Amino acid sequence: MEKFSNEYFRKLANDLKFDLSDEEIEELKKDFVEVEKQVELFETIDTEGVEPMVYPFEAPTTFLREDVVADVLDQKDALENAPDVRMGHVHVPKVVK
Amino acid sequence: MESKLTPKQSVERIKALQPVLNAAITIVEEPEENPNQGPLAGVPIVLKDNISTKGIRTTASSKILDNYVPVYDATITKKLKDAGGVIVAKASMDELGMGGTNRNALIGPAHNPWNPAHITGGSSGGSAALIAAGTTSLAIGTDTGDSIRKPAAYCGVIGVKPTYGRISRYGIIPYASSLDTVGYFTTNIRDAAEALEITAGRDDHDMTSSFLPVEAYAKNLNPDLKGQKIGVFKTVLDRVSDPVIHQTFDNLVEQIKNAGAEVVDVEMDTKLMELIAPIYKTIANAEATANHSNLDGIRFGERKPGGSVEEVMTNSRTAGFSSYVRARFVIGSYSLFEENQDRLFRKAQKIRRLIVEAYAKLFETVDVVLAPAAVTAAPLIEQSSDVRFGADRFEEEHLQLANFSGYPSLTMPLGLEDGLPFGINLTARAFEEQELFNVAAGIEELIDWKEEPANV
Amino acid sequence: MSDYQVTIGIEIHCELKTKTKMFSGAPTSFGEVANTQTSVIDLGHPGCLPCVNKEAVRLAIKACGGLHCTIDPLVKFDRKNYYYSDLPKGFQITQQFHPIGKDGYVTIQTEDGPRQIRVERIHMEEDTAKQFHKETGTYIDFNRAGTPLVEIVSRPDMHSAAEAAAYVEALRRILFYLNVSDVKMEEGSMRCDVNISISDDPNKLGTKVEIKNLNSIANVQKAVQAEIERQTALLEAGQPIEQATRRFDEPTKTTVLMRKKEGTVDYKYFPEPNIFPIQLDQAWIDSILNSLEELPEARMARFQKDFGLSDYDSSVLVNDRDMADFYEEVMKTAKDAKKAANWVIVEMAAWLNKNNLSFAKNPASAADLASLVNLIDEGTISGKQGKEVFEDVMKGRKPEEVIKEKGMQQVSDDSTLIAMINQVLDENPKSIEDFKNGKKRAVGFLMGQVMKASKGQANPKKANGLLVQELSKR
Repeated sequence: MEKFSNEYFRKLANDLKFDLSDEEIEELKKDFVEVEKQVELFETIDTEGVEPMVYPFEAPTTFLREDVVADVLDQKDALENAPDVRMGHVHVPKVVK
Repeated sequence: MESKLTPKQSVERIKALQPVLNAAITIVEEPEENPNQGPLAGVPIVLKDNISTKGIRTTASSKILDNYVPVYDATITKKLKDAGGVIVAKASMDELGMGGTNRNALIGPAHNPWNPAHITGGSSGGSAALIAAGTTSLAIGTDTGDSIRKPAAYCGVIGVKPTYGRISRYGIIPYASSLDTVGYFTTNIRDAAEALEITAGRDDHDMTSSFLPVEAYAKNLNPDLKGQKIGVFKTVLDRVSDPVIHQTFDNLVEQIKNAGAEVVDVEMDTKLMELIAPIYKTIANAEATANHSNLDGIRFGERKPGGSVEEVMTNSRTAGFSSYVRARFVIGSYSLFEENQDRLFRKAQKIRRLIVEAYAKLFETVDVVLAPAAVTAAPLIEQSSDVRFGADRFEEEHLQLANFSGYPSLTMPLGLEDGLPFGINLTARAFEEQELFNVAAGIEELIDWKEEPANV
Repeated sequence: MSDYQVTIGIEIHCELKTKTKMFSGAPTSFGEVANTQTSVIDLGHPGCLPCVNKEAVRLAIKACGGLHCTIDPLVKFDRKNYYYSDLPKGFQITQQFHPIGKDGYVTIQTEDGPRQIRVERIHMEEDTAKQFHKETGTYIDFNRAGTPLVEIVSRPDMHSAAEAAAYVEALRRILFYLNVSDVKMEEGSMRCDVNISISDDPNKLGTKVEIKNLNSIANVQKAVQAEIERQTALLEAGQPIEQATRRFDEPTKTTVLMRKKEGTVDYKYFPEPNIFPIQLDQAWIDSILNSLEELPEARMARFQKDFGLSDYDSSVLVNDRDMADFYEEVMKTAKDAKKAANWVIVEMAAWLNKNNLSFAKNPASAADLASLVNLIDEGTISGKQGKEVFEDVMKGRKPEEVIKEKGMQQVSDDSTLIAMINQVLDENPKSIEDFKNGKKRAVGFLMGQVMKASKGQANPKKANGLLVQELSKR
């Protein structure tokens, strides 16, 4: 599959579980020109030996949660927002795997 | 904290203003009586609609959550209720916090109370508009790039983004977890200091929340500028071309000096400054695409029919997210591909470190950095857009430095141009909110802001 | 087929025995009403944040200790991104980049003696929801979602079905001994995926085929054997082996294709931003490792050394921790270790099996079984009588009482026996005559009379000796 082809973007979107229209793909193509420019810009910065900064603060924590039951939902609350509930379970069309 | 309006009056006012401002996604028609006699007793509270409220619809301004009613309260919601606050509205925002205009909202754009033809800024635009319009004295927002501080500047109010981890993020529908900060809007610095006392503190539900004690910020507030070491962010100021904003800013700096502060210019390498926006987008989009993978129409939210569970997810997410948000998810996901991480996501995290190191250097000689909050007043709604990608101007995006570094940062109004407010931004070192409030209180006395928007 | 090089690697998922989930306070109870053991975190509700369970970390450290892994005291988590209806957040929190344990091993017993299988890594992660597929659709129960797991990944160090089964067995035993997991394969608290490749070139690995979700150790052995045979047949026929995921079909004892693998899935792993790295206190780690329960290997060695048991007996005992525990209780008072082992391994195991019970739910007391063994050993009752008494011991009764009640007790007391013998001798002067005249069979007759007089309770060995002694006095 050719990189940045319509098919390519459709695949990217489908992997994220949504669709894109042809117009949306055309817009994305423009975005990806900028993304690639960004990569070029990033490459102008020497990051040899620099660690990625994952968190704003890097002093490690020592906190761990005690193994005590808390914040349990009853079945009603657990399923309150589910669009399709059958026999106490969240129901979906048959999973195809 | 004082409130001019009772919760009921506040609700009436928000409803009356809705045709003009379109700033609330959900208005609580019958605000709950709150027996708690804390510092917020009887104070109407506006929450950005990404803050979970048990029993009150919370959409984060996204179609996919149009029908979602949380079964739990965010930690900040609990704290506000415990302090006596009464929730009156869930404020408009850009969808999932992704935007800076509040145009990309579930209910359409929010309008600026100073002139409804102009944007409020985003993504916490609804909260900014509602506090500017006098409906409340405390509105909660969240700030990932500048989502509290930009709208505060455009709406002429105070917007505070405390240190990362100062206020619990538990129950906040996220945007980008390593940048997201809960904050708020007030109309004066004393309220801002008090609000932090109420909302901050360690929360075991948020492993990134800080153990540092919450200080008595309001009681300890000291507006004396004498001896305060303040840096003027020259790299940003030099890019301000609007003569009114530039001149007013220069005048303020003179006043600050006259008040006895030690003022120096501070500068950052423009090469690094140019990288702020691209780095921000890369990190934020990547974290966001993963964060919102739970929005699939299975356990909650709007489900669209389909023949298989795959189809249900795909149809729900296609209909549930705007084009703009889906595009950002694609870009974020692309930068996380194993083959791309080294040149995109991980590279951005490395450059983030270099930027933060350079930014931290500014604070070696000064305690607070002062900069114009935005280079213009709020643009017209038609003329603004969330540039998806393209040429970035660092003077527009410099507030993101406080998100990269986690530093506390606030915006306050400075002046008016053509009837629209513009503001200044102050930033301090991590967890030095007291210092930040002290300097802001001193400057507040100098500015002596008494303006009120036209549409209230 | 001897020319083919078989390479096997195994991934095992084990649910940790915690009260609450990996990242939430919801309980981990098994078999509860659907969707009653969840929190908003397990359901992936918007705004939720994970919070790491200390007990899960403690159990993972124990597992590391048991498998001789190097422990990383800085705990970090990562996101594994994929969409599936049993994965509420749309990503799984796992430890891709910094597993808590690395570079360990498990010792297995093979025909050629003990062998070490290397463990590449142990990492913590969370379980998915349980789905029930029916004609009318899929039904999701989120009770299991978020249950703490460790994944244990071996190096490709195994080369036969027997070795694969031995590895799983050894691992299962270790985790059970350490109280890290229930390791109930049939309930899914331990799950096993096997990777197999076969090659005719010893320097090159063949195509990797994965067999997923094996639910018993017997099936691990059967599935691997079947897969080796299937792949061998393909190679013999000159046909290619396709990279794929397969499952074991019990009725036909063959592996069945689930899906072909087309390229690898990109899970877009990145560090979990909501969990700061957690620095574990070295003193805490040390205290956990220093108080580890005795491992099966060590226990086997101890049984052999202290009780003089054979390789076989000690391994049978140790395989079932409850059986071994019971045996140790028995050995507090039993005198003959080997005989005690026999009673436990053979008689008790058979009895429990017949009654659908396990050693964990065993009605007999160890002290009573020890008494029984000793009573037989001392000659108080015969071995045959012992089996009869055993039935009552298994009902919770004391052997001494049973023996008394049934009048089984052998008479071994010298003075009682001598009195009894002299009475018999007095009544049978003819036999004494015969004995003195060299008719040795008279002793046999007199013994019979003694047994008769004692109603069969005289200790025959002792009585015989005393009879000869008393005869010689006459």
